[in-house]
Amino acid sequence: MLKKLLILAVVSGILAAVASLVYQKVYAESLGDGFKNIISLQKIFVACIGANIVAAIGYFLLSKVLKGHTEAVFNILFAVITIATIVYPIGYKLPLDVEMPELFPGLAIPMHFFPVLGWMTLKPLFAKNI
Amino acid sequence: MKRLIIFSGTLLLAAAVFAFNIVSPLWKIGDKYNVSFSSNEVGGIFKVFKGTINFDEANLAVSNFDVTVDVASIQTGNALQNKHAKSDEWFDAAKYPVIHYVSKKIVKAGAGYQVTGDLEIHGVKKEFTIPFNFVKKGAGATFAGTFKVNRNDFHIGKPGGDVSDVIKVEIAVPVTK
Repeated sequence: MLKKLLILAVVSGILAAVASLVYQKVYAESLGDGFKNIISLQKIFVACIGANIVAAIGYFLLSKVLKGHTEAVFNILFAVITIATIVYPIGYKLPLDVEMPELFPGLAIPMHFFPVLGWMTLKPLFAKNI
Repeated sequence: MKRLIIFSGTLLLAAAVFAFNIVSPLWKIGDKYNVSFSSNEVGGIFKVFKGTINFDEANLAVSNFDVTVDVASIQTGNALQNKHAKSDEWFDAAKYPVIHYVSKKIVKAGAGYQVTGDLEIHGVKKEFTIPFNFVKKGAGATFAGTFKVNRNDFHIGKPGGDVSDVIKVEIAVPVTK
């Protein structure tokens, strides 16, 4: 079970990272700044895959406790935690030479939702029976 | 006639020498200046600094500064903090768009100098002394000073709270003639 969850975590993390990169490119082209020095390709992949690996371990541990209600409780928890993390980009202190820091939350906040979206999108395909 | 010409010439020369002595050199402010502020909780820079700097080490009596900082150019690295700093709760950039400093007296102080003048922030004008160094390098020079400002003296924000009352300010202004 944990193995399937970890595979789901890695694949959905990669999907989330790719979605983040596409969003970053579109954002940079339309608004002029993709903050690539701050949100690098490496950071995007580490954050997306890392978040979903933590989620997989969380799911596994929850399933040991909750049995039949795991998915419902986990989804609520994952969504709530994701929403809570948007505080981080809002409060993030950028280098002082960044011209328009007000554009940063508009880029980073949606990216925080991509790991949970990737997870929920691929879970029925990868780990339907878990 | 010849005497008149000699007299006029002498007078002109004397006037030119006198003018040279009383007008101190005007320095042009370079692009790479730094006006930064910091405390334990917040820090940042002001990106727009303008003004006139007349300074002659050999003639401090006629040296003077008249400089402004655009409040709206504040940059803390965080959009929310920038907005907050410009709001009427802090600098009120809409009502008081500039921080203004006009010197009244410049004196030698140890290895550096001290300028005393009127500092106007947030509509409050106070006499304020700033220590600074003047370092010449080639055709240019740099003015650099570090000092502390109590924001309560200028009614910026509420006393106490999350932000320290005393803010450290660092200024470095490269200049050329």
